[in-house]
Amino acid sequence: MSNGTPELLSVRNLVVAYETSGHVKSRLTAVQDVSLDIAPAGIFALVGESGSGKTSLARAILQLIPSASGQVIFCGKSLPEMNKTQLREARRDIQAIFQDPLSSLSPRRTILQTLTEPLDHFRIGTGKERIDIAAGALETVGLDNSMMQRFPHELSGGQRQRAALARALVSKPKLIVADEPVSSLDASIQARVVELILNLRDKQGIAFLFVSHDLSVVRQLADTVAVMYLGRLVETAPARELFSNPAHPYTRSLLRAVPIADPLHPAPVVLDGEPPSALTPPTGCVFHMRCPDRIERCSSVEPGQVNISGKEGRQENHRVRCHLWNS
Amino acid sequence: MTSQTPVDALSVRGLTVTIQQESQHLRVVDGISFNLRSGEVLALVGESGCGKTKTAEAIMGLVPRDSGVVQATSIRIGDTELAVMPEAAMRQIRGREISMIFQEPLTALDPVFSIGSQMSSVFRRHRKQSRTQARQSSLEMLASVGFPDTARVMRSYPHELSGGMRQRVMIGMAMACKPRVIIADEPTTALDVTTQAQVLARLTDLGRKTGTSILLITHDLGIVAQYCDRALVMSKGKIVEEAEVKQLFTRPAHPYTRSLLAAAAGIND
Repeated sequence: MSNGTPELLSVRNLVVAYETSGHVKSRLTAVQDVSLDIAPAGIFALVGESGSGKTSLARAILQLIPSASGQVIFCGKSLPEMNKTQLREARRDIQAIFQDPLSSLSPRRTILQTLTEPLDHFRIGTGKERIDIAAGALETVGLDNSMMQRFPHELSGGQRQRAALARALVSKPKLIVADEPVSSLDASIQARVVELILNLRDKQGIAFLFVSHDLSVVRQLADTVAVMYLGRLVETAPARELFSNPAHPYTRSLLRAVPIADPLHPAPVVLDGEPPSALTPPTGCVFHMRCPDRIERCSSVEPGQVNISGKEGRQENHRVRCHLWNS
Repeated sequence: MTSQTPVDALSVRGLTVTIQQESQHLRVVDGISFNLRSGEVLALVGESGCGKTKTAEAIMGLVPRDSGVVQATSIRIGDTELAVMPEAAMRQIRGREISMIFQEPLTALDPVFSIGSQMSSVFRRHRKQSRTQARQSSLEMLASVGFPDTARVMRSYPHELSGGMRQRVMIGMAMACKPRVIIADEPTTALDVTTQAQVLARLTDLGRKTGTSILLITHDLGIVAQYCDRALVMSKGKIVEEAEVKQLFTRPAHPYTRSLLAAAAGIND
């Protein structure tokens, strides 16, 4: 998959499964055979609807939940094979922010205490230097120095997400996994956080795995987009191409469902039905029941991932899981 | 009456909602007036905090007395004046003449009763139908909001349905009495984009078929452009612009509308 440049993060054939509780134990496969690459300073967006497995994938990459099989290689090292100490050390370079910023800010600590904690932990700098680094991180995210002595409850939603981002920045990470970081924010504040992420990438070379269900936000910042449906990456492509020339029928349905703020634009097209349950996935392609373009094979054989670069003018690194492209 | 003037389904004159916040009186809705025409989908659009939801609650008579004061010269549904109506009479109007759909359907559905029992009770109460009739009506209503397996949905409890399915149940319940007016307050904000398209298509189709007028409250200009006939733009408690949707997008008159459109264009492109 790589074309010469060393990847920052490589995920290969990752599977995440949960045992469900209750009388009858069954296995729910949340992530099935996912492979992806994130380049240094790249912004990789993972889009999909609720229940598609985005968060499970993000958490498995962060080693917050175990994976059933597959590889996660970060800076050339395999994260799942690391022991606790090694993993802790690796977390300097791979940080996370979540939809609810309060989950990464302690309610009983001031913002300064929260920001210097990773520095204490990783023994970075002297006491004085730690405060300087914290102040620098706050400045980067556009928060005033006076915020240092405040508690999370004294901040607005947008300020909290900035503070959470500042906390992720102090250890100078190479990659930030951001799981729906702007979903709970108002549109105008969303735009500012998006701008901030773009800035961090441009000025500090930080790469992002940006998880979102909001296509309009993704369009503004991603270099590469992967579309997830029932645990599978059904399409991965450079962002511009994915939005202008989508190849998978699900991606097309997803894009056609977005109402465009122009009355002369064609009306959104309704994709009927609901996604199937991950507990009882259908045979064949997981999208075949709702697919407008299905052929006979789709209901019996699960399509593998194919690279369609060069086909019908597609660029490099455009991959889909679809029988229509397999012939 | 000449047949050329369409009768207004809802007419609001001089509506003000004042709330008390720390020793201050805040006019969150500031003397607004508008008409919802028969059979149209009218957008009420604005950013969070502009007074959209308070407007809806005031029309429905749902602003709690200890949280705010509602004043209006007139709120009329057809020929019925709601502004001076006592609560007991208002209860007869809600559901029958005017219904509301909320952002989060779980707040409006009872977790301990099946969908069938909650839907049937609407038909029994407002339409005075028998048990059998009400069940039949419920099945038909569920089919009309796009459920293929209506009997299974009838047996389900709210937590067993997805967000989009619950919102379609809510539309069915709101439509049960064929009301003149439905107020839908951000009905798809919590839903995924494909589900949003399903729900809004069902809502506006049903409205057109039954002649129900819809006041659709939203912050999303894409929804305004694609699903509405006219729009009211609200900012800081006031309606700053009222226009046909095509005109709103091609020739916005108010600077605030222009700034909203510019922000949306940045997102779309």
